[in-house]
Amino acid sequence: MPSLNASHPMPSLNFSPRVPVIDANVCVGNHHTGPSPCQSPAQLLEEMDFHGVRRAVIYHAQGEQISPTDGNRYLEDWLDGDGRLIPQWSVAPVETSMKQITELHDRGRVSSVRLHDCQSAGLPFLPWGYNDLLTFLSDAGIPLWIPLMDVETDHLVTTLKAYPDLHAVLVGAHYTHALVVRGLLDASARAVLELSRYEPIGEVEALVDRFGADRFIYGSWYPRYAMGPILFYLHHTRMGEGELAQVCAGNVERLLGRTEGS
Amino acid sequence: MIDGTRVIDYHGHVGRWERYGMVDDPELLLGAMDAVGIDVACLFHIFHPDGTTGNDLTARFVARNPDRFVGFAYVSPTMPERMVPELERAIDKLGFPAIKLYPPYTPWPFNEEPWHPIYEFAQDRGLAIIFHTDHFINNRPRYFENLAPAYPRVNFVAAHCGNVPEARAEAIAAAQKYPNVYLETCSTYRTPGVIEELVEQGGADRVLYGSDMPLMDPRPQIGKIITARISPEAKRMALGENAARLLGI
Repeated sequence: MPSLNASHPMPSLNFSPRVPVIDANVCVGNHHTGPSPCQSPAQLLEEMDFHGVRRAVIYHAQGEQISPTDGNRYLEDWLDGDGRLIPQWSVAPVETSMKQITELHDRGRVSSVRLHDCQSAGLPFLPWGYNDLLTFLSDAGIPLWIPLMDVETDHLVTTLKAYPDLHAVLVGAHYTHALVVRGLLDASARAVLELSRYEPIGEVEALVDRFGADRFIYGSWYPRYAMGPILFYLHHTRMGEGELAQVCAGNVERLLGRTEGS
Repeated sequence: MIDGTRVIDYHGHVGRWERYGMVDDPELLLGAMDAVGIDVACLFHIFHPDGTTGNDLTARFVARNPDRFVGFAYVSPTMPERMVPELERAIDKLGFPAIKLYPPYTPWPFNEEPWHPIYEFAQDRGLAIIFHTDHFINNRPRYFENLAPAYPRVNFVAAHCGNVPEARAEAIAAAQKYPNVYLETCSTYRTPGVIEELVEQGGADRVLYGSDMPLMDPRPQIGKIITARISPEAKRMALGENAARLLGI
């Protein structure tokens, strides 16, 4: 592994990011299995301030496995006035959920959606089960966050290939996904990997070398995971400053169709 | 070195596990260590129950960069006749300063009789032992409450500090009761507030930074310490001062 370039500062006991940061993966609200350590937008914003995170893409915990429509209604309570918390709406390929997302989209409120776990209810992530949803998202240019633990890898590869215009963000790769991340990124040129859990040694550099920095985004998956460690990691790789800025904010801005600071 | 503190990573491996992206290429380890100021990494090889095979591989790995790596001895009670002779060889001939044990690769919880010859050896020598700990029956940190007073010259280190809340609470409780119990931080769970919990409840003088490299990159793992809401003094202790004291290096 080549050493860091000379522009990288040496680590110190204190850390703050040197590029703008958007956390692309934050869960809010209580999961059905227990309370969240973060109970309010103010608490979340304080956590973001502590780690130097300007904005965060947030979804509601109830949207993961219970109800995407209710989760989205609860998410409204977390939206702050100044736009630092960017809503991500949960979605499932069922009529109530599709109707809700369509209405939100018609009101210009959808910049991204997140896949509700239907695999554990027996629906595989394959075109025959998701065609209406994925066609809509592809046509509208709406990116879909896909938690990797909620889909079978083989199904995901098949479906990514079937919808080449879909902007997919693959969430929560773990070291147990080390054998599949390259195949997933090869399956679609529009697929992007979120990095909250991905820690095999040297993999950020190796993946950026192979696929380019525009295929990776910073997310913490707070409060499941602490907000700071992956951000610290990304600031101590041999990525150049431009690549770091892409991974920490630029790529997700592009996906969301937003401009930081606007 | 970080702000004048020598950084010691207390948990790393020699050996390959490619299906999880784990490759023990020294350049890979050193590159990641250099990027965040890690001076020394403690390494062990846990894939060979005889101990000897893995310990020799560890010694060979360390010998290529002796100022950057420290080897720990590994043995398994699944080959009981090998345990003490191999520990004598690893400590006396290979120069390893501490022991690593991995109960998940055995049928026995680590408080049971098959493990005790190792503890007696460590008690005679005044050695530290790092154990894999979690919430499964073989690996419960609550066993330290029996072992720590029975072997007061041994320093017991809970790797991963139990990983999950119920097991972490056991490790902290043992550290609160006994001065020879330590809490090591590496985990694929990077739960918010854990480092703060270890420092506040277990004591800053008991926390050891570890990464599990090369299974995991040391950079996000050291990031847990750097980005935690703890004092600079606590960070210095966790990053290296406690490990240096424990290992006498």
